[in-house]
Amino acid sequence: MENSVIPLLKRLSLNKYEVSQESHISINTNICKTCVEKPCIRVCPAGTYEAMPDGTVTAHYERCLECGAALVACPFGAISFKWPDKGITYRYG
Amino acid sequence: MNYDADVAIVGAGLGGISASISAVKEGLNPIVIERGEYSGAKNVSGGRMYIHALKSLIPDVEERAPLERPITRETYKVFCNKGRELSFTFKEKSKTSFSVLRAKFDRWYASAAEEIGVTISYGTYLMGLQEEEDGITLNTSLGDIRVKYVIDAGGVTAPVARLLGRNLKPEHLMLGVKEVISYVQDLPEDEGEATTVIGLTRGLKGGGFVYTNKDTTSIGVTLKVDSLQSGSIKASEVVENYRAGLGLRGDVLEYSAHLIPYYGWGNLPPLYYNRVLAVGDAAGLLISDGFVIRGMDLAIGSGVIAGIAVKKVIDGSPLSIYEEMLKRSFVLSDMRKAWKAFQALSNPNFYGEYEDALCEALSREFLVNGKQRPTLIEALLKSFYDNGLNFSEAVKEIWKIV
Repeated sequence: MENSVIPLLKRLSLNKYEVSQESHISINTNICKTCVEKPCIRVCPAGTYEAMPDGTVTAHYERCLECGAALVACPFGAISFKWPDKGITYRYG
Repeated sequence: MNYDADVAIVGAGLGGISASISAVKEGLNPIVIERGEYSGAKNVSGGRMYIHALKSLIPDVEERAPLERPITRETYKVFCNKGRELSFTFKEKSKTSFSVLRAKFDRWYASAAEEIGVTISYGTYLMGLQEEEDGITLNTSLGDIRVKYVIDAGGVTAPVARLLGRNLKPEHLMLGVKEVISYVQDLPEDEGEATTVIGLTRGLKGGGFVYTNKDTTSIGVTLKVDSLQSGSIKASEVVENYRAGLGLRGDVLEYSAHLIPYYGWGNLPPLYYNRVLAVGDAAGLLISDGFVIRGMDLAIGSGVIAGIAVKKVIDGSPLSIYEEMLKRSFVLSDMRKAWKAFQALSNPNFYGEYEDALCEALSREFLVNGKQRPTLIEALLKSFYDNGLNFSEAVKEIWKIV
C-alpha cells in the first residue's frame, strides 16, 4: 500500500466489530431539517452520519468507533447515544 | 445497610485498575465494571506512557509489562507552506517513557489487578444510578450494585458524571483519530521515536503524532472538536491526508478514534461530588505544554490516590481530602505548572502562521544570491511582518511555553 488515500469504508473494514441488532444512536431528525451546516458529518471520524435528500440525517450505527464525538458533534443536541452492548473491539488500541 | 462492595469503579482502564489495586492494598473490597469484553477493548491512546507512576505501584513493571519501545528520540517535524520543512531530533538513551498499545497493555494491567484479588466484571455497562443517603446504587446491564462510593474511571465521556447531569462541551475536547500501520522503523530494539508533527492538519486546530512500536507504528492526528465543527474538512479525511503527507509506507492494520480531554488546570470539571470521585480522563486530566502530552500517568496517579482517599473517607474524612491529596501529588501540581503553556498553545497562530513565518526566515537566512544577506533577527522580523504577524508578540507567546 503506497501513500494513496484509503477510502473510509475500507479502513473501517479492518476493524473487529460485533454489530448489535438495534441502533444505539437516535437522531431527532426534525432538528436536522433546520440545520444547514450539519457539523456531525464532519466531526464523526467513522462517517456514521449521512445527509439525506429530505434534509434529515441518518446514522449508520454499525460504523461507529464509540469515540463519543457524537455526544458533542451536534450543537442543537439532536443526537443521543447509549453505549452499545457489543460494537467495536480494538486489537491494538 | 447492605453493600455489594465498598466502592464501585466504573471502567477498567488505567485509572480504574490503578484505583482497584490501591483500594485492595488499603483493605477495601472494590468491584470494577468494564464495558469491553476485556480491558483495553474500547480504549485508544496515541501510545506513549511516562512510566513513573506505574513504577511506584509495580516496581518491576519494565520486565513484566507489555511495553512496546522506550522512547529514546524526541522529534519535531514542522511542515510549512511552499514545500518547506523543518525538523529536529533530541536523542537520549532514556527509559522514562515507552510506546504502548492499549488493547495489549490494559489487558495485562487488569490481569495484574486480578492476581491480587480485584473483581472485574467485563461486558458490563452502566445504565443508571440512584443516590441514597448512605450509599449509591448502580444499575448495570448485569443488575444492581449497591456501594458506599463510586470512582468514575469511565474515560473522557465520564459516564457517571453524565448520568448525574453534566454535559460535555466541544471546546474542552479534542478528537484523536489514529491508524496503526505495518511500517517498522529501522531502529535498534531498545530504541523508539516519538514524533510531534505540526502543519499537516491545516485549517484545523491540532497536530499529529508518530510513535515507534515493536512491530508496528502508531500515527494519528488530534483535532479540537470545535474547529472540526466550524471547519470544512471531515475528520476521517484529515487522518488519511496526514498519513499520505508523512510518506510512511505500510498497510493500515487498524483505524480507531477517541476523544481527548482538553480542559487544562483552570477549567477542570469537579474532581469529586456527592459520593463520586473522578479519575483520569473522566476528571479531565491531561497535560499539553508543547514538550509533552501526557494523560496516562495522570490516570494512574489519580487512580492510586482515589483508592487511598476512599479508604480515608470511609474512615471519616471529608471527600475533599481526595482533591487535597491530588494537589500534593504530581497530578495537580504538574497540571497547574502547565496551565500557562496550555493556554498559550490555544493561540490560533501556532497552527500554521508562526511556522510559515519561521520557515520563511530560515529560507532567507540560508539563501546566497549575491544580494545583501540579512542577519537572523532581520530575517525573522521581516518574515513575520510579511506574514502579517508581529515577531515580538510571537516571542512573548513562545516565552509562556518555555
